[in-house]
Amino acid sequence: MLARKQLFPAGLGLAALATATFLALPLIAIYTRVPIGRLVDQLGSRVVVDALVVSVKTTVIAQLLILLFGTPTAYLLATRRFRGRSLAITLIELPLVLPPAVAGIGLLAAFGRVGMLGGALTFLGWQVPFTQAAVVLAVAFVASPLYVRQAIASFEAVDPTLVDASRTLGAGEARTFARIVLPLAAAGLAAGTALAFARGLGEFGATIMFAGSLQGRTQTLPLAIYAEFDSNFDTALAIGGLLVAVSAVLLLSLKLGFRWKRSDSTSASRFAPSA
Amino acid sequence: MDAISRTALVTPGRHAQGAARAHAVPFVAMQKRQRTPLGQRTPFAVAFPLAIIGAVIVALVLVATINGAPPRAQGRITVLAAASLADVLPKVDPAPRYSFAGSDTLASQLRLGAPADVFASANTTLPDQLYAAGLVEKPAAFTANKLVLVVPKANPAGISSVYDLRASDIKLLAGTAAVPIGSYTRKILAKLGLSTVLANVVSQEPDVRSILGKVGLGEADAGFVYLTDATSVSDKVKVIALPAWAQPPVRYGIAVVRSSAHRADAVAFINKLLARTGQATLAAAGFTAPKSLPTTYNGG
Repeated sequence: MLARKQLFPAGLGLAALATATFLALPLIAIYTRVPIGRLVDQLGSRVVVDALVVSVKTTVIAQLLILLFGTPTAYLLATRRFRGRSLAITLIELPLVLPPAVAGIGLLAAFGRVGMLGGALTFLGWQVPFTQAAVVLAVAFVASPLYVRQAIASFEAVDPTLVDASRTLGAGEARTFARIVLPLAAAGLAAGTALAFARGLGEFGATIMFAGSLQGRTQTLPLAIYAEFDSNFDTALAIGGLLVAVSAVLLLSLKLGFRWKRSDSTSASRFAPSA
Repeated sequence: MDAISRTALVTPGRHAQGAARAHAVPFVAMQKRQRTPLGQRTPFAVAFPLAIIGAVIVALVLVATINGAPPRAQGRITVLAAASLADVLPKVDPAPRYSFAGSDTLASQLRLGAPADVFASANTTLPDQLYAAGLVEKPAAFTANKLVLVVPKANPAGISSVYDLRASDIKLLAGTAAVPIGSYTRKILAKLGLSTVLANVVSQEPDVRSILGKVGLGEADAGFVYLTDATSVSDKVKVIALPAWAQPPVRYGIAVVRSSAHRADAVAFINKLLARTGQATLAAAGFTAPKSLPTTYNGG
């Protein structure tokens, strides 16, 4: 018989147990359905290797684009207050909650051959749908909010007195950004990068609608799971296992990275006069 | 959180008696007291537990109405059917629950234990395989189809025959090798001596409807589909016939799923398709009768 006082903590524990079990079970089941050795064998198959190459290549390119355009955008939004700023942030966050199918149909409507920019792109000799460029666009579209949001938060967390000090000591805004703000926000930016990368690797809906699925060209790992599900369930499981492992490693390294960063930043004694 | 407020929040009981009380109740608790006179609960304090109880009740009601269990109790049969049958089957019989997809996807679902009563495939190979595996009863061929090439109405690549697909910059769509439309496509191209045009395939689609959709949108230059699919969206695509001598036999196999709890209804559904009216509906949609059409379904 539980004392009344213990009811609440017991309830918390039960709910946490149910949540953890529910979330862990499908992930564990991927590895237990067929022997691990067979899963590993499947990873050597042509389909998996091709999909891995396509996935890594397109996600890395998309990530570089996100860093290149997202970082200045985030800095602007973090340091300036202007009319329509909330609107801009909402716009940036929207892909986060949009169904990927909406992203796919939107990308087709914009960059498709008969889409809004289709005529102009065709004139320039580019046809985006069904190419790796289409995969990159789809990944960048759905993954960018995760990075930009995190980057805005990291820039806002930089101690403004340090920035002011840098400026009063004569450094320009660009130099202050490069020498003060970027290093201080680096951990947060890295976290955002990891999150966006993980999301990009998992992108499915927008990709299959906008880029199609062709082995070695536009078939990413999630698309390969979908294609192999019908003909070769073990291969589909193996790719699933691979993605679970990669995502887990990304998230874990994020957490460990942050812990390291935190302990580092508290060791102020490094700059303190030695006793 | 500082030490005092933590004490106040977490362990007021420990300090309830004795002199510590004056120090322990402080701050956070005092502020609350000021806003709400002793013994009177705020609207929030009343509404919050009610809201939680309400949410739990709503959740329970919703859970009770979900079809977590297979829809057996309701007497409607479930038909897993090839995507190319999506328009015509509900016209023959609107009663069943239909699930349309690539035949190979449906076969995988059956192998993984999906609850269903009838399996209708765009080939006879998959039903035969499932029959051999003991998952369905003996299949029967109930209708047939033909392969055609479709191009967008605007025909951006100027394709007028299947031989035009040899041009190098064509964006061609085909089914995956596993889905029947994809395997038929490979067969007819091989027979025409055109297997090299597979190099122009820009995407291997999971079923015939997604090929049709993307060609209809104008995003691809051409795609191989069934004649019946092409005629269903004739306002968006142009149909290019393929030589009759190269056509592979496209026959649709149908069978009752062995785990079906509604065998009688499932057999009745198949017989409806085999009967004259069912065949007439299929013919109106462009399907043809297979060479040896059984009069009734035997299964077994």
